[in-house]
Amino acid sequence: MNQLMFFSLSPLLIVSFGTVLSLLLIAWRRSQKLILVFSLIIFSVAFICCCSLIVNLADPVQITQLIKVDNYAIFAFMMVLVASMVVALLSSSWLTHSVEVHDEFYILLQLVVLGAGILVASDHFASLFLGFELLSISLVGMVGYSRDNQYSVESSFKYLILSASASSFMLLGIAFIYSQSGSLSFASDLFAMEHVANEGSNQFYHAGLLLFLVGIAFKLSLAPFHLWTPDVYQGAPTPVTLLLATVSKVAMFIILMKFWFSQSAFLTTENSMTSVGNLISTFAILSMLIGNALALKQQNIKRLLAYSSIAHMGYLLIVLMIVFPQGMDLAWQSVLFYLCAYVLATLSLFMALQLSQAKGVEMDMHVSDWQGMFWHSRLLALLIITAILSLAGIPLTMGFIGKFYILNVAVQAQQWWLIASLIIGSGIGLFYYLRIIFVLFEGVNEGENSSGLSFTISPSAKVAAVLSIATGLVLGVFPDFLTKLIFIL
Amino acid sequence: MNITLVMFSLVLGGALAWYFETIRTHSARWFALLTVLLVSGYFVLSLIIIETDFSTLQLLTRISWISSFNIEYALAVDYLSLVLVSLTLLLALICVLVSWQEIQTKTGFYYFNLLASIAGIIGVFTAVDMFLFFFFWEVMLLPMTALIAIWGHENKHFAALKFFIFTQVSSLLMLVAIIAMAAIHFQQTGRVSFFYQDWLTLELSSSTSIYLMLGFFIAFAVKLPSIPVHSWLPDAHTQAPTAGSVLLAGVLLKTGAYGLIRFVLHLFPSSSSDFAPVAAVLGVVSILYGAKMAFAQQDVKRLIAYSSISHMGFVMLALFSFNAIAYQGAILTLVAHGLSSGALFALAGVVYSRVHSRDLTNMGGFWQSAPRMGGFALAFAAAAFGLPGLANFVAEFFSLVGAYQRYPLLTIVAALGLIGSAIYGMVFFQSVFQGDAKKDSSGEQVSITDLTARELLVFSSLLVLLIVIGIYPNLILAFFQDANIALAIANQAGAL
Repeated sequence: MNQLMFFSLSPLLIVSFGTVLSLLLIAWRRSQKLILVFSLIIFSVAFICCCSLIVNLADPVQITQLIKVDNYAIFAFMMVLVASMVVALLSSSWLTHSVEVHDEFYILLQLVVLGAGILVASDHFASLFLGFELLSISLVGMVGYSRDNQYSVESSFKYLILSASASSFMLLGIAFIYSQSGSLSFASDLFAMEHVANEGSNQFYHAGLLLFLVGIAFKLSLAPFHLWTPDVYQGAPTPVTLLLATVSKVAMFIILMKFWFSQSAFLTTENSMTSVGNLISTFAILSMLIGNALALKQQNIKRLLAYSSIAHMGYLLIVLMIVFPQGMDLAWQSVLFYLCAYVLATLSLFMALQLSQAKGVEMDMHVSDWQGMFWHSRLLALLIITAILSLAGIPLTMGFIGKFYILNVAVQAQQWWLIASLIIGSGIGLFYYLRIIFVLFEGVNEGENSSGLSFTISPSAKVAAVLSIATGLVLGVFPDFLTKLIFIL
Repeated sequence: MNITLVMFSLVLGGALAWYFETIRTHSARWFALLTVLLVSGYFVLSLIIIETDFSTLQLLTRISWISSFNIEYALAVDYLSLVLVSLTLLLALICVLVSWQEIQTKTGFYYFNLLASIAGIIGVFTAVDMFLFFFFWEVMLLPMTALIAIWGHENKHFAALKFFIFTQVSSLLMLVAIIAMAAIHFQQTGRVSFFYQDWLTLELSSSTSIYLMLGFFIAFAVKLPSIPVHSWLPDAHTQAPTAGSVLLAGVLLKTGAYGLIRFVLHLFPSSSSDFAPVAAVLGVVSILYGAKMAFAQQDVKRLIAYSSISHMGFVMLALFSFNAIAYQGAILTLVAHGLSSGALFALAGVVYSRVHSRDLTNMGGFWQSAPRMGGFALAFAAAAFGLPGLANFVAEFFSLVGAYQRYPLLTIVAALGLIGSAIYGMVFFQSVFQGDAKKDSSGEQVSITDLTARELLVFSSLLVLLIVIGIYPNLILAFFQDANIALAIANQAGAL
């Protein structure tokens, strides 16, 4: 292992070493504040490491067969780290209500980050599976963490069983693919593939691909594998829902992209593209339509966001339809930009959700609980509005640029059906997005003192809110700042 | 001339109004008025000073914006844009004045939204980078939706939602067409470009061009609005606050017509020529349907809203006749309808502020108590049905004369719309101002206060403009004498 490898692996090493140290720290002193600060330090050191890597790393670095660190992976890991920092901060306010010391929660969080890091950097089915399981198992623990919540057991069981079945599907798929290609590495199976293709007996390969995609689709909650999403979102504590919605989705999508583009050289060479491509477009169309349609009547904010995230993953799936090599750069850029916009908007919404919840009480938030917020807690309302507009893809926000990217990809790939369902989907989506915004502007009921309603926000939360509003708007109007960062490469 | 400055100061003025309202009540409206006055003053002055010939597009600004897609911040104006921007600023002034007493809650934020949507509309009229155009096209929607959704009447959320979704979905179609055009530009020249004048040189195969043209056409037809995508308009107009209705009818509908002229006709001359019969039929159906529906309404604002659909049908018919006279007629219709329907909506707002109802059955006999208001109402209703001497007459006459050369039969049918408009105009006037005065619950006759000085100023300035343009239409037409250069291309394409 030379120095470059060590350097490029350093963010992962920092997080894993930090996890071990945290375990030791618990043995030494159990203090929630201490472990929170320690986790934040780990994440920020890893983040700084990523920053220096993304500036200095010119070419992808292959570290053994298992891991390949490139700029896309680092950028995705940065998103994961930012999201996890917000999760850590948000959970600190939520975990204070009982006398217990919740050290384990932070250990689990660190493991989730580690799993996501391995996942985005993996170049091999073995490391993929490792990261996948690390991510899922730690998440199961976190989903069921608040034992006294009525939905806690239900949602963690649902998540456990469905994750397990998803990974078994995936394993079988990997086995099928291996049986045809003779290698577990993403990149090296192309030669082997060609002879399979020539023989024309590639049903096993296709079945493997199908099963593998099903496993991923479970985690990305693509329709028709989305049924767990709303229940788990609702039952999990808000910071954990945030983790599910951002970290897990980002990591899974990045690995899907990596896998897909490594196979696409094979997929374009013959007409198998059409069958697998049709499958992907079916997933995409179903997710866009079902996700948006089911979100329409939701009153519970978390369930609504769950359905809307299904739709967003459907939009993103369009990017996979580009398989010619010239389009890869655009595809990667689109995915990273869109994910960035999605993560930022989701972070803002969950931040607002947590801040507007009564302190220490875990309860279901409904859209109507935000009524009239614009007139008494303006900052929080602005945070929600920018996030919602971004999710709806309205200009001035990052979400619009993200949608613009996706449409660009779709036009280049000439996927008119996908474009049509994207338009229909976003049309439906406007109904529930705008409803939330209208609720924010609605008058406060007479008789209630509007000053008594306003939510108390700590100064640090205020700074975070202003920061996310500003980032969303600045990058929405001047997306060049971000695209240049992605393409320093 | 610096359009960027105009837009920026409008938004800034709105923000200041919002801020100072929290410090001192009623300061927002003064800030808004001052901003619009200053901006209009600057605009008029720079128009007088500058001696450029605007008969073709004159580039004002061109800066790189999003380099990864070669998107630029590019603004350009010609006489068409200038006339429409002037109309926008004039109606902005009217809007501020009619909201003076009407808006009592959340006033600061109201004026911010009003000025922001005006800035967005000006952006739409001047942008020549297609991405920028789309950007403004959407940005003007947001504050407009807020105006309807926050300060509207009883059914405001439904109306705002409908308005937003109609325009948003149709404009996504346009976005796809825009992206496809940029991709075609890339194929032909090896360079992505969203710049309007680059696109004029593209060669499109007829099959792709018809789809792209439809993408643009649908977005603009929704805005215009034309049958069968008009149904957002009656709701949005009815539920919006007065200034919102004035702005919607006066300027927002014109962005649709502007888009048809600037983009559909110029970028896709041959496929618009192929499509013209369909568009003309849609126009004629809109004229008749709008007139028929207006006649059947009980709600004053709904009546005026349907009359807008009818009048915009003339624009559609005239534009797709590919004829210089019809083209001039269409542009005059835009201006005349902007003034007259703005005035009618303002009038409906004034009546509403007196009787708190928009229902015709609750009105009647107001002439006795408010003769000046009645006089203006009669004049504006007469303008709407095209009484000679007023601007709308010239506009509709030109449109029909021009259209007759291409679609004689359709034009004859369309002319029936003029009769319809006379009928609904008189129904409107008679049921509000004539007949027996209504009695209220205690048996006394309802009497309403006549126009105040501020309202008098609003209506008389609009009426003067309508008369001046009606008597001397060359005031506007002079700018469009040689505007048919571009249309000549379309004509040639049509002749092929």
